[in-house]
Amino acid sequence: SRGTAEEVFPFPEISNEELQEINQFVGPVEKFFAEEVDSKKIDQDAKIPPETLKGLGDLGLFGMQIPEEYGGLGLSNTMYARLGEIISLDGSIAVTLAAHQAIGLKGILITGTDEQKAKYLPKLASGEHIAAFCLTEPGSGSDAASIQTRATLSEDGKHFLLNGSKVWISNGGLASVFTVFARTEIVEKDGQVKDKITAFIVERDFGGVTHGKPEDKLGIRGSNTCEVHFENTKVPVENVLGEVGGGFKVAMNILNSGRFSMGSASAGMIKKLIEMTAEHACTRKQFNKKLSEFGLIQEKFCFMAVKAYVMESMAYLTAGMMDRPGLPDCSVEAAMVKVFSSEGAWACVSEALQILGGLGYMKDYPYERYLRDSRILLIFEGTNEILRMYIALTGMQHAGKILTDKIKEIKKGNIGLAVQELVNKVRDSTGRKVDYGIMEERGGLVHPSLQESGKKLEENVYYFGTTVRGLLTRFGKTIVDEQLALKRVSDIVINLYAMTAAISRASRSISIGLRNHDHDVLLTNIFCTEAYFKNNYALAQLQKYADENLDDYIKKAAKQILEKRAYICSHPLDRTF
Amino acid sequence: MRLSWARAFPLRLWGGCRGPKMRRVTGIEWAARPMCHSSSDAPEPPSDHGSQNTPRDEEQGGPAAFAAALEELERAPGRRLGRLELVAAALAAMPALGVARQLDAYNRLLRLLPRGPWVPRGPLHRLFAPFPRQQECGLQVLEQMERYGVMPDAETRFLLLAVFGPRSRPVRKCQRMLYWLPRMLHANPYPLPAQLPPPGLAAACLGLRRIANDPDARLSVYQQPQPEQGDNEGSTQPYIVGIQSAEQQELLARHGPEHPVFVEGPFPRPPPPRLFYYVLRGDPLPPHLREPPPDPERSLYYPLYLDLDLERGPWDDDEFDVNEVEEGPVFALCMAGTGDQRTLAKWIAGLQQTNPVLGQTPVIFRLGDGDSSAGSPGDGDALHLEGSRAAELEPPEVAWGRRAQGEG
Repeated sequence: SRGTAEEVFPFPEISNEELQEINQFVGPVEKFFAEEVDSKKIDQDAKIPPETLKGLGDLGLFGMQIPEEYGGLGLSNTMYARLGEIISLDGSIAVTLAAHQAIGLKGILITGTDEQKAKYLPKLASGEHIAAFCLTEPGSGSDAASIQTRATLSEDGKHFLLNGSKVWISNGGLASVFTVFARTEIVEKDGQVKDKITAFIVERDFGGVTHGKPEDKLGIRGSNTCEVHFENTKVPVENVLGEVGGGFKVAMNILNSGRFSMGSASAGMIKKLIEMTAEHACTRKQFNKKLSEFGLIQEKFCFMAVKAYVMESMAYLTAGMMDRPGLPDCSVEAAMVKVFSSEGAWACVSEALQILGGLGYMKDYPYERYLRDSRILLIFEGTNEILRMYIALTGMQHAGKILTDKIKEIKKGNIGLAVQELVNKVRDSTGRKVDYGIMEERGGLVHPSLQESGKKLEENVYYFGTTVRGLLTRFGKTIVDEQLALKRVSDIVINLYAMTAAISRASRSISIGLRNHDHDVLLTNIFCTEAYFKNNYALAQLQKYADENLDDYIKKAAKQILEKRAYICSHPLDRTF
Repeated sequence: MRLSWARAFPLRLWGGCRGPKMRRVTGIEWAARPMCHSSSDAPEPPSDHGSQNTPRDEEQGGPAAFAAALEELERAPGRRLGRLELVAAALAAMPALGVARQLDAYNRLLRLLPRGPWVPRGPLHRLFAPFPRQQECGLQVLEQMERYGVMPDAETRFLLLAVFGPRSRPVRKCQRMLYWLPRMLHANPYPLPAQLPPPGLAAACLGLRRIANDPDARLSVYQQPQPEQGDNEGSTQPYIVGIQSAEQQELLARHGPEHPVFVEGPFPRPPPPRLFYYVLRGDPLPPHLREPPPDPERSLYYPLYLDLDLERGPWDDDEFDVNEVEEGPVFALCMAGTGDQRTLAKWIAGLQQTNPVLGQTPVIFRLGDGDSSAGSPGDGDALHLEGSRAAELEPPEVAWGRRAQGEG
């Protein structure tokens, strides 16, 4: 979905009945996490106690998105995101549950046949069996299409024999149902034999499935991560997910659909941190003043609040868009949510720990555990670098389709078009007034209090459009190799989406008259102003021959360093004579 | 349900111009109505209210009676006359029956109105302000909802649209309510809890917390009331509740024993519950007695005090306000069952345990500043006063030096 105005304004709402329903779920889950989950012990022992797992299963948290006919809760994406806010209070449990349902059994949910669903989903929903997602191998982390695990068809054509090993599999030691990706030989229509990836549902009972010892990790120590080895595992042909050779699509669908909940999970964690830290800042006194009276501390709180607000807005906007009838493809939006939330969470936890100073560094307080747990957010479910490339390139592909003809015409030397472009450029540089209709007098989409922010958003969108055209004109399809330019493009896109989500939510909040709607508007205006300036700087860097563009220097320095594989400057104390 | 032109013209275009034929039905009669005969068309004045039925009604409870009445009316449709009076009577009866805050009641009431006949037939019709009394009736329903803070929901809006048509006054008012009511309900940053405690110790605690508005302040009960509940009229031992925060304690300690402190009160606190509070405050210290300039060795890392001769320019001074009057520090607050000096003296005695400086500080009671029903405007207290000295406002170097030495 490419962000038409109707999808984004107004902010997606859920009906009152759904709200009551989800609040009924929220109460018991919060109580469970407050009373019966000892995060410190889980972190120390690097293990989640079986009673806790059983408790989670009783609450139904193992089957949140499984339809009710198979025994799950059948929650929509929005409600799943809401529960994710509470579950994220303990990182290990959140990752265990996410690995089980967001990726482990999502394949069966999305592409499974009815027999497969009826066979596996009921037990998975109750928590009796746990699922895991096996794609990563020692040689292929982000490069998922280079996996080496093989599945060969047996002679009678009824089984596949699976051979290979997977590494860093969450829930690897606990799981009994694995979604494994392996290479199979396919004979195509024209007789060629190709190696394509296929997805299989593998049960531990099929034999030949062994797992190594749990890895000792920096954070989320309670989550069980280990190697899984498959030795001549017999997988019946009925257990193929989707079709043979269609594993790439299955993997993409699975990975793209689970990402948005990271936004609300991070937001939930940051909200809790703000509470705890504010309690400390308002009681501790230094230099005869409370910490909360010092400007630097106030800035940190504002930063955390703004990030939490924007994360929530983006996550629920994406969830709302995905919940619409039809099957909208929100993979780019979900990726944007993931990148923003993971980086925002890392920065905010760091700031919260800083506010506490020495106390934050001690193991007695939970801040260092939150810091370690949130570091993995930037790495798993697609590293942030990979996702930035994905966002930028998908956008380029889409834009390129529209702009290709025009650019080709210009390159051929069409005089009329060239003159038109020249006129446009002159008008741009003399300050064009951009108006996309968001800020009309009556019937505008946004409340007048957000007028400034709306104008900034419109301006950024317009200049981003012209910059993308410029980039495509300069690079064409070789832009795939220009990662530094693409990184700036994706940063701008993420900021634009964030601004849109925040403005939409604030507009709804003030129009309905929610409690503290003026605070909403304040946070939105702060964020939009900051993002506007960052976007403008990035846009300036993307112009050709821009002074702000340091890409060439960066690449040169990196080349020299990597040639010698060390830091090459002479030591400051060296002498020549 | 729209009438044809011929039948509609004389009566319907401007609503029933004829006056009401029935007399208004009062609240209790209205509630008792379903107990009487129900199937007749016109609402006859219930001559025999069924007085034998009314007590039975009241026992059932107001909301149930209201719901029963509405059911009777829903079951007997087709009353073309007297609907407006019915609605007006129902609205008048609702507060007494306790259903004024239930949205469902209003929705069911609106369902009794006819849908269609009161919708104007076009822009020309709308030009002549059609159905004024009917629209007033709708407006009255919405006004009562507004008064009791009931939010109209989608069903209300749907009913109003069906009854009065779009662009009618009730529908416009509904739109405005949907915009403004949530704002008004959320406008108070310190909302009262839904269930107010009965007047007494609990109410005083709630009141004190709201006045002090400090999450760090400590509330202490210095004396439990005897008897435990109920009003404190004539009780032997009224309750005494005080609140003080750590900062106030420090301020009091620094205020010093030479300067007297005053107990002033009672100040009324108007919103329910009606409470009176007493304040322990001191006069503002003259400038030379306030905080000394910070010690240059206070901070190891950065200087807290720059030794420059520059002051903040008047155009940069955001904190200056011409209307601001300098007030002295407030050291503690208290609420007591009775406001006489003995009770308040007990409060001071209780405060003395956490603020030993009160033992030497003269405490002057200035009661009776607020409303009536206070104790005698006492001017001294036998327990604490050492003669009514005013604060020493001139700076004798001795006093300053002694104080500076005392602080070390």
